[in-house]
Amino acid sequence: MNELRTILLAEDNQKDVELTLEAMAENNLANQVVVVKDGVEVLEYLRYEGKYKLRKAGNPAVILLDIKMPRMDGIEVLRNIRSDAALKRIPVVILTSSREEKDLINTYELGVNAYVVKPVDFQQFIEAVKQIGSFWAVINELPPEGGL
Amino acid sequence: MNSKPKILIVDDRPENLFALRTVLKDLDIELVEATSGNDALKATLRHDFALALLDIQMPEMDGYELAGILREEEKTAHLPFIFISAVYTDNLNVFKGYEKGAFSFITKPFQPEILINKVNFFISMYQHEQALFVLNDELENKNKELESFSYSVSHDLRAPLRHINGFVDLLLSRFYDTLPDKARHYLDNIADSSRQMGVLIDDLLQFSRTGREEIRQTELDMNSIVHEVLETIKKDNPKRNIEWRIATLPGVYGDKALLSLVWINLLSNAVKFTRTREKSIIAITVLDEKDEFVFAVADNGVGFDMQYAQKLFGVFQRLHPTNEFEGTGIGLANVHQIVLRHGGRTWAKAEPDKGATFYFSLPKNKYHE
Repeated sequence: MNELRTILLAEDNQKDVELTLEAMAENNLANQVVVVKDGVEVLEYLRYEGKYKLRKAGNPAVILLDIKMPRMDGIEVLRNIRSDAALKRIPVVILTSSREEKDLINTYELGVNAYVVKPVDFQQFIEAVKQIGSFWAVINELPPEGGL
Repeated sequence: MNSKPKILIVDDRPENLFALRTVLKDLDIELVEATSGNDALKATLRHDFALALLDIQMPEMDGYELAGILREEEKTAHLPFIFISAVYTDNLNVFKGYEKGAFSFITKPFQPEILINKVNFFISMYQHEQALFVLNDELENKNKELESFSYSVSHDLRAPLRHINGFVDLLLSRFYDTLPDKARHYLDNIADSSRQMGVLIDDLLQFSRTGREEIRQTELDMNSIVHEVLETIKKDNPKRNIEWRIATLPGVYGDKALLSLVWINLLSNAVKFTRTREKSIIAITVLDEKDEFVFAVADNGVGFDMQYAQKLFGVFQRLHPTNEFEGTGIGLANVHQIVLRHGGRTWAKAEPDKGATFYFSLPKNKYHE
């Protein structure tokens, strides 16, 4: 089992952030959750830039990524992560309202690990967050950082 | 299309080209001349032609051979020809691919009026075709815009709805005991309405998807489609007493998934609106007309007033209150859209309390697009 690594939540809508955190609390998910508001902040966090210059070292266990975000959207973030040797192995889960075919195809082509459409029903959303959290932040094993 | 229609004239003799040029000089067209088959082929790479006038007797490559080659090329496959020959020849079989496009003959010496008339005929045909292409493009763009609009609206509507649901749920689960009854009742109403809106959005999304999905037409056995659909419907309504009267249905040409959706909607509607009957009778019939099959689903249900019949196939149109018969009113809109995309029509006949019959037609011509 992994030590409890951070979950990076990229979501620009404050209400969605609140609901996601509530859903995690309902599920007793003990991992620390770092919330960022757009794609630029995701990359700043991952690359120890800006206000994350002094953060504790280590990649998150999983990135929960919204697609529609200001400045840099989820697709662009994913492209950046997958083409960065230090970041490319981080599991990325898309968490979005959009079931748009084009988004599904694009993100899978870019090597997303999972794609989850947020259910409108809150109980179902809690269940979805539970599944995502327990799998990616607890059960899943990660390769060593920095490679062989 | 502002530019003049271009006409290719091919003749190995300069004096013949001169004669053609003179005859056609008053027409509002642009002439491109070629003195050999090879020249002509090169010209087709640079220009889009409305018509080609081809001399039949030319050295190296004659008019038929040239026409045959042009029919093979995608760009000129449908280019109409007027063959110009010294003697009337009926050896049409030497011209391969004549069935792909229009063509005509004229024999030398020709009367200028006849050639002008023929050329004008092909030009006006070409211009109509071009105008149709433009309209078609515009229509396609409008459709795409509309679809992407409704799709993104549906998606953006989902987010606030999710928030309402989420916070109502949290409020009820965390503070249920401290809330007065009235407050719980209001919250239940909010939750109920937002659930309803969720269903509406999902239906709208599905409708928009049905409208833009590509139709994959194959030969289909309507009997097996109807029986598959019927199995599901029977499973979903185990307690109902329904007599099904199903005629033998013909094979049709269409999209299996979409036509299944048509039957699902029509049959589940029939089941729904006969719910108040002790015994439901639902009949599926077909009429074999000259150019089309007309399928019908008749029931002995509550029917409706024909005064509102034109509303039936619209999006979110309902003729019964939700507390009597549930549903958002998207089903028949889907039916209408799918049938329309197959080149058919939909209509209905009914009387209040005396049942309803829903019809849809499918053209027999399998090459219908």
